[in-house]
Amino acid sequence: MYSLIPHIVNGLTLGLLFALIALGFTLIVGVMEVINLAHGAFFALGAYFALATIGGSWFAGTEFGIWWSSLSPGARYASGLIFGPLCAAGAGMILELCLRPTYGKAPLYGLLLTFGAALVIEELIRLVWGTGEQSLSVPQAINGAFLMGGLIFSKYKFYAAAFSILAIFLVWLFLEKTPYGAIIKAGSHDSEMVRALGFDLGKLRLAVFAFGAALAGLAGVIMAPIWGLRPHIGIDVVIPAFLIIVVGGVGSFWGAVAAAMLVGLAVGITGAYAAAWSMLSMYILLILVVGFRARGLFGRKSALEN
Amino acid sequence: MISLSDIPARGGSPFTPPMFVFLLALATAPFWLEAVGLYSYLGIEITIWILYAMGFNLLFGYAGLHSFGHGAYLGVGAYAFGLFQNHVGVSLWGGLLAAVLAATIAGAAVALFVAHRRGIYFALLTIAFGQVFWFCAIKLRWLTGGEDGLLGIPRPDLVIGPLRVSLQENTSLHWFSAAILGLAMLGLWRLVNAPFGRVLQAIRQNEMRARFAGYDVWRIKWLVFTLSASVAGLAGGLFAMAQESAYPDVMSLHQSGLIVMMILVGGGLVSFWGPVLGVLVYFIARDIIGGITETWLLWFGLMFVVMVMVRPEGAAGLAHVVRARFARAPVKTPVSAPAERSA
Amino acid sequence: MSNKKFSRRSLLTGATAAVGGVAAFAGPWKHNRAYAQASDKPIRIGITSDASGQYANSGASDRRGMLMAIDEANAKGGVLGRKIEFQHLDTETTAATGSRVAERLITREECGFLVGAVSSGVANAISQVAQRYGVIYLNTNSSSPTESGQNCHRVKFVWDGNGTNFAKAAVKNSIDAYGKKWMLLTNDYGWGHDTAAATKKLLDQYGGEVVEEILVPQGTRDFSAALLKIQQANPDVVAAAVGGDDQVAMRQQVAQLGMGSKPAWINNQQDWPDVYGLPVDNLFGVFGTTWYYGLDLPGVKEFVERYQAAYPDTAMRVPGNVFYNGYMATRELLAAIERADSTNNIAVIKQLEGHKMSAESRMQHHDAWIDPDTHQVQQTVYLATANTEMGDNKDDMFKVLTQSAPEEVRDEGAAAACKLESYDETPSFDA
Repeated sequence: MYSLIPHIVNGLTLGLLFALIALGFTLIVGVMEVINLAHGAFFALGAYFALATIGGSWFAGTEFGIWWSSLSPGARYASGLIFGPLCAAGAGMILELCLRPTYGKAPLYGLLLTFGAALVIEELIRLVWGTGEQSLSVPQAINGAFLMGGLIFSKYKFYAAAFSILAIFLVWLFLEKTPYGAIIKAGSHDSEMVRALGFDLGKLRLAVFAFGAALAGLAGVIMAPIWGLRPHIGIDVVIPAFLIIVVGGVGSFWGAVAAAMLVGLAVGITGAYAAAWSMLSMYILLILVVGFRARGLFGRKSALEN
Repeated sequence: MISLSDIPARGGSPFTPPMFVFLLALATAPFWLEAVGLYSYLGIEITIWILYAMGFNLLFGYAGLHSFGHGAYLGVGAYAFGLFQNHVGVSLWGGLLAAVLAATIAGAAVALFVAHRRGIYFALLTIAFGQVFWFCAIKLRWLTGGEDGLLGIPRPDLVIGPLRVSLQENTSLHWFSAAILGLAMLGLWRLVNAPFGRVLQAIRQNEMRARFAGYDVWRIKWLVFTLSASVAGLAGGLFAMAQESAYPDVMSLHQSGLIVMMILVGGGLVSFWGPVLGVLVYFIARDIIGGITETWLLWFGLMFVVMVMVRPEGAAGLAHVVRARFARAPVKTPVSAPAERSA
Repeated sequence: MSNKKFSRRSLLTGATAAVGGVAAFAGPWKHNRAYAQASDKPIRIGITSDASGQYANSGASDRRGMLMAIDEANAKGGVLGRKIEFQHLDTETTAATGSRVAERLITREECGFLVGAVSSGVANAISQVAQRYGVIYLNTNSSSPTESGQNCHRVKFVWDGNGTNFAKAAVKNSIDAYGKKWMLLTNDYGWGHDTAAATKKLLDQYGGEVVEEILVPQGTRDFSAALLKIQQANPDVVAAAVGGDDQVAMRQQVAQLGMGSKPAWINNQQDWPDVYGLPVDNLFGVFGTTWYYGLDLPGVKEFVERYQAAYPDTAMRVPGNVFYNGYMATRELLAAIERADSTNNIAVIKQLEGHKMSAESRMQHHDAWIDPDTHQVQQTVYLATANTEMGDNKDDMFKVLTQSAPEEVRDEGAAAACKLESYDETPSFDA
C-alpha cells in the first residue's frame, strides 16, 4: 500500500543519527576498553552547555551579554556547537581522572563508576537547569522541510545526517591515520611496553576520553532539536549506543557503523509497518545477531569478554 | 585481591555467628523498627530485597556472571503470584509455587541463550532479554494490566496443617517473609560452601581453566542462572503480596541496575553478607536522605563513585579490613594487591 | 475480570476485621485517637507528588499548588482550630515507590490525608494502600479514565479531567471544523489506548471515519516513520494520544516538518509544565485543559498574583492547570474537613461526595461537582490552541477556543466501570 522507498531512506538517515550517538561510546570502548555509561550524561551536558551558550542567559545584563544577543542566531548556534562539546570534553577529563584507580581491574569497575557518574551528572543538570523541558533552537537555514518525491522530509535531519558522516570520517582518521590510535590500543593491552617506549599513557588516555566525551556532547547538540532536551535524556542514548557496539562487535569501528545503519533500518521499517514493535525491534536484532555470532558482526577478541 | 574471602576454602560450618545475629535481627525487627524511626512495611521490603539480592549474588558475585536484567525474574514471579490468585484460586503456597516455577522457566529459557556467553556479551544479552520481558509486561495488557500493573492481589492466609494465620497485617507478613528468607539463607550458605560453590568461583576466576579441569561449564552456568532466577521469583511472589499488586517498573533496566549497585556497595564480591549490607544501606539511605532532600540520588551517586574509586570491594570488604586490623593481623589491602581480571 | 474484584472485596472485609482485632499494632488511629479531641494536635497531610523521574517537573508544580492552599489555610488560623502540617516524599514516578511512600506517610509520619499524583501507575499504588488504611487520597493530576473507572476507590477523589472528557470536548467540534477522515496516533499503553478508544467511539457516533491507527511504543524518540505514513494517507485530522517525553519529541519533529497545521492535530490534553517556555510553533493543534491563567473570569488575576507572591523565584511565572488542580484539591479537602466539623475519614468522605463547587470559586465557566458514584470532579473542559499573536507576553501561550459544560463531557464509561467499596468496608479513624 505504501511505497517502501521513503521508509528505507528514512531508516538510513536514522541509522546515521544512531551512528553519531554511538560514536563517542565506540571510541572509548574500542580504544580503552572502558564501557562508559556516562556517555548519555555527556550527551546531555553538551546539549545543555550549547543551550546556555546560544541563549546567553548566564551573562545576561552584562555588556558582553548585550553584545552577545546582538549576534546573529547562526553565529550563536555555531559557537554553541563548539562550546557544548568542549564542556563535555572537560567533564570527560575529570571522569577519566576518577577512573584511574580502576584500570587493570575487572572492566566491571569502570562500568560501575561511570554508572554512578551518570547519576551524579544527571542530578547536577537538574540542579542547574531545572527539571523542565528545554528547547534548543536552530538557525532558520537548516530548519523547515523540503519535498522529495511528493513527500516531506525534514531539512534538519539531513543536516544532522551529514554531520554524522563528517564525525565518522574524523574518528576514522584519528584511529587509523594518526599514531595515537595505535599507541593507545597497544596501551590497553600492554601498558608496560607502551610506557617503556616512552609514551605518556596517562595523557593519551585523558585525550581519548576527552575526545569521546566531546563526540557525545556533539551528538547531544545535534540531537536535542529532534528529541527535545530534559535532564534524564541520557538513558535514551546509552541503550542504543550499547546495543550498536554489541551488534557491530566490540573493537570494530566499521562494525559499529554498520550496526547503527541496521538498527536505523530496523526501527524505520518496523516504524512504518508494525509501529508498536519498533522499540523492541532493536533488541530482537541484538538477540538474533549475538545468538548466531558470539562476537557480533565484526567483533574481535577483547578483554571485555573475560 | 578481590574474591569471596570469607568463604573458607574447605567446607563451612553450617551455622556461624553472623547468621545468628542476622536471624535474630530479622525475627525481632517488628519490635524495634518504630523505635529507630523506621516502619514495618520498610522491614518487609528490605527482607524481600535481601532474598532477591542473595539469590542474585550467587550469579553475580560467586559465578561472576554480570546480569543487568535480573529484575525481569522478580517481575515474572510477582505477576505469576497475582495471576494465580486471580485465575486459579486464593492460595499462599500455590501462588508462591507458581511464582517460583514461572521465574524458573523464564530463567532456564533465557539461560539457554546466555550461558554460552561471557563478559560484555553476557551482560548485554541479559539486558536485551530483560527489556523484552519488561516490554511484554507493559504490552500484554489483557494479562498483566499494562503499565498500571496487576492490582488488588490478595494476601492469602498462611495455612500449615490445621493452623491458619492471616497475613493481612504488615507484622505477620514480615515474620512470614523473614522465615522464608531465613530458610533460603541457610540453603544458599550450604550451596556456596558445597563443592558447587567452589566450582562457581573457579568459573569466575578462569572459565577456561575450569573447563580444562573437566567441569561442564556450560551446564553449571545454565544451572546457576536458573537457580538465581528461581530465588528472584520467590522474592517476586512475596513482593506481590507486600504491595498487593505487581508492577512492570521492577523489570526496567534502571531497577535491574540498582540491584547491581546494592550488591557492589554492600560488597557482594567479597562476602556472602555483602548483599545484605548493600540492601540495608540502600533502603535506609534512601528512606532517610529521601525524606530530607530531593536530590538524594546525587549524594548516593557520589557515595557510590567514591566507593568504587577507593574501596571497590564494598562495605563488607571494609568490615573485613577493620576486623583484620583489630585482630592485629597483617593486612594486605585489597586495592594494592595484584589485579585480577575476573569480570 | 469479575473474580479479581471479588477477591479485592473479600480482602478488604478481611482487612477491616483484622484492623479491628489488632488495633494494638496498626495505623495512625492508634496514636491519634487519644489526641483527636485536643485542638493543638496538627492535621498532617502527606504529599505524594513525583520529584524525580518522568513527571518530576509536573510533580513540582502540583506540589506548589498544594502548599499554597495549605499556607492560606494556616494563615487563616488552620482548620478546626488545628494547624496544617505536611510531609513530602518523592514517589520517583514509580509505582512500587508509591506503595512504600504511602505506607511510610500513613504508618510512620501519621498523615491522615494523602494528596498528589501525575502518573496513573503511582496513583493506583497509593490508592490501594490508602484504601487499606481508610486514608483519604486526592489524585490531583492523573488523567487516565481508569482512575475514576475500574480502579476507583472509596477513599480516592480524582480532580483532573480524564481522556474521555477531553475527547468528548474535542471530537464533535473538530469533525465539523476540519473533516471526517481521521487518523489516530496512539501511545501503546493504557492511557493511550483508553483515550483512543473514547475517540473512536465518538467518531462512530458523529459520523467520522478512522483511516488508520498507528501505535507508537512508549519511549519512542523518532516519529519520522509515523509522520511519513500520515503524509501518505493524508487525513483531515490526526488525533494524537501521545504522552510525556514522547510527546515532546513528536511535537518538535512535527514542527520541523511544518505539518502542524495540515492535517489538523488534536492532542488530548496538554499539561502546562510540559510546554511552558517552549517555542510557540512546537505547540500546534487543538488540545484540552481544565484551566488557563488567561481566562477572563473574576478572581483569576488575584490568583495569579498570589501565585507570583508565593513563588517569586520559580521559572514558571504563571500558574498552570497542574498547579490549579493541586491547589483546588487541597483547598476543597480542607473545606470538607471544616464542614464535617471532624477529621473522621468517613465524615469527610461524605462531605466530599456530591459536593457542589460554584463556578466562581473554581474560576471556571460552569459549576463543578464531585460525582458521588465515581469520585471524579465533573468540571468545565476547555479546548485551546497555540496563541500565535502573543506579542510581548511570552507567558500567554494558549488561546482558548471553546468551553464545554460538565454534563456535555461526562464520562459514562467510568460510571459503569466503577464499583466503590462500601463505607463499612473502609476502615474508619480520626486523623
